[in-house]
Amino acid sequence: MPTPPATPSSPTSPTPPAGTPDPATDASGPSTADRVRYLDEVMAEIDAEVRRRRASGDLPPGLERELDELFLEFSPVGLQGRARLRETLSLVDGSAYVDIAVPTASNKAVGSYVKRAVRKGLGWYMNFIVTQIVKFAWSVSRMFHVVVDHIEDLEAAVEAHRSPDLPSTVVPSASDGASWWAPAATEALAAVRERVVVADCGDASLVEALLAAGVDAYGVDPSDLALEPALDRGVDVRAEGALDHLEVVADEALGGIVLTGSVEWLRPNERDRLLDLVATRLAVDGTLVLHSTSPAAWAAAASPVVRDLAPGHPLHAETWAHLLARRGFDVRATLAGGVDRRLAHVADADGDAGTLNAAIDAINDLLLGPTEYLVVATRDR
Amino acid sequence: MTAVHQFVPALLPRDATGDHTRAVRDALRAAGWESDIYVEAAHDELRAEATYFEEYPGRARPGDVLLYQLGTSSPVAEFLLGRPEPLVLDYHNVTPASYYEGWEEHTAAKVSLAADQVAALAPRAVLGIADSAFNARQLEDLGCPETAVVPILVDDEVVHGVPDPATRARLAADHGDATVLLFVGRISPNKSHQRLVEALWYHRRRYDPDARLHLVGPAVTPGYAEAVFAFADELGLSDAVRHAEDLSRAELAAWYADADVFVCLSEHEGFCIPLLEAMGAGTPIVALDAGAVGETLGGAGILLPESRPATVAAAVDRVRRDADLAAWLADAGRRRLGDFAASTTRRRFVEVLSGVTGRAAVPA
Repeated sequence: MPTPPATPSSPTSPTPPAGTPDPATDASGPSTADRVRYLDEVMAEIDAEVRRRRASGDLPPGLERELDELFLEFSPVGLQGRARLRETLSLVDGSAYVDIAVPTASNKAVGSYVKRAVRKGLGWYMNFIVTQIVKFAWSVSRMFHVVVDHIEDLEAAVEAHRSPDLPSTVVPSASDGASWWAPAATEALAAVRERVVVADCGDASLVEALLAAGVDAYGVDPSDLALEPALDRGVDVRAEGALDHLEVVADEALGGIVLTGSVEWLRPNERDRLLDLVATRLAVDGTLVLHSTSPAAWAAAASPVVRDLAPGHPLHAETWAHLLARRGFDVRATLAGGVDRRLAHVADADGDAGTLNAAIDAINDLLLGPTEYLVVATRDR
Repeated sequence: MTAVHQFVPALLPRDATGDHTRAVRDALRAAGWESDIYVEAAHDELRAEATYFEEYPGRARPGDVLLYQLGTSSPVAEFLLGRPEPLVLDYHNVTPASYYEGWEEHTAAKVSLAADQVAALAPRAVLGIADSAFNARQLEDLGCPETAVVPILVDDEVVHGVPDPATRARLAADHGDATVLLFVGRISPNKSHQRLVEALWYHRRRYDPDARLHLVGPAVTPGYAEAVFAFADELGLSDAVRHAEDLSRAELAAWYADADVFVCLSEHEGFCIPLLEAMGAGTPIVALDAGAVGETLGGAGILLPESRPATVAAAVDRVRRDADLAAWLADAGRRRLGDFAASTTRRRFVEVLSGVTGRAAVPA
């Protein structure tokens, strides 16, 4: 266990309290740097303990999600399924009736007499009012039944259009780990002091590159198998998808986020949710690095089955820039890379290669441009 | 004579905003200014200290500055938008409506209206006073031309409460060797009580099977509170989660003194006074780094980047196992609390308002 720095014998200065205590006025105690270092060491021990639990299988990857789902069962927010909807509707039905027969029991004989007299005397009045209230309540209840019926019809229609799930193994990966874009990603994140998460981190090579550059990085990946080598090396990686992970991270808790892999084939609603989470979990001025295969390269590499059944497909870099700008990001750079599949120009030996080379340029632009790209953006607001 | 009059939706006793409003009035009067409190409603106990805001136009005088205690929606906001006097906002934050949606639609509508009112008032104000830099940023984003961070005025008695002996003895008798986690605050979705229950569940499974969670605070969102307690029952924690509300200051101090760790997993806090109360009681703090929590804590506690049960449980265990760390955190808390001394905050309040009234403050 780290040893705590000595505590001061007098309180800190009476300066305005926003922010951390000022070491300059706290001469008798540990400096702010000492305190931060000590707490960082404690936090690192806590992180290590959680990682150890995770690695030992003591903390199954889906445990937290299961707890969340269990809580949602008690939540009106988490209305799930027709049974829950119908159950709630039955509560509305049950409370739509107002009983005019007010209880008249009393501990005192005279009390019961008075209550009966009041009930009898006001019965005509109450009956008139209550009849209208009950009529209104039943109208509302009927309306809810109509709405629920309609929702169930919609659910059935949506279910009919559901695309089949594709196992992740059949979806082509954008890259085999951190490759050409790792240096650019590391450079973009080198100055980030807060935590950085690498989603779909695979063998965690990028996480390790970032750690080597002094960045407080960790990784998440939905595949337990892919993470095993990194766990063996003691790298902070967690078996989770990007969406699941970001759902439980606090707002503005991250200084950087790296997205790669699954961003290419998320369903549109999942993609929107991911971007919304990125825009809130990332601190203002935080850096987003997004890596993807280009649509043309993906279409060329994926099998017809995958192309037809994949729930989503890679977007163009310009589209990501558009989506990010709408969420308050400033796109600082877009880099192209990956395999260069462009056709070479033919030699102009006969002096008539111009037309052919123009056609080659057109084909290159249309179909054979860079296979991958990297978008670097900063959260402005 | 310069006058800074305060407007507040409701003046209530034993309420953070009510206490703050009265303390600000006293500080301003001590600085030699006129200062009255105008309200939409006042509790009977404080009725004599307040005037209905509709009566202000008949009392208005040239040179008046109006200070609005802003933390909820109120017709007072609409009234102030129509006034010609310089307006200062004292912003205590508004919980985003999204936290209440699905749980309590009328509260969602109320806070949504409050957010609209903040957006309308911020550009109209000459100065925005905020409890925290977190709150100040919100005002700046809404176009407030100038902001100053001055913490909420918390009476020293509140953060240095003497524990009620009977309550202290009763809690101590139950405590035994068990780890006791404490959270104090309204039971409301933005406070994430379900995460505390999850953390307790995991802590009991892996570290201390007898650990308990004490929740102190009113169930202001009944549907959410019911869900939290039903969730605890489902996890087999009905005997391990205890709830108390309507406590006196001395009783509350006893609950703080009894706890091993104060755990705050709120997702949205504009300041978080219970952190100060825990500091005053010497209770080590473990908190999620969300909203203004990290800023208020100022390094005097373990700040977690996430509220996963395994992480929270490990942090609580770390504090519980390491007496040096617990003592260091308690001491760091007491030192940090010195930054929020009422005398300092009162002086700061007068300083920032002096810039608006255009006259030097009389030293408080």
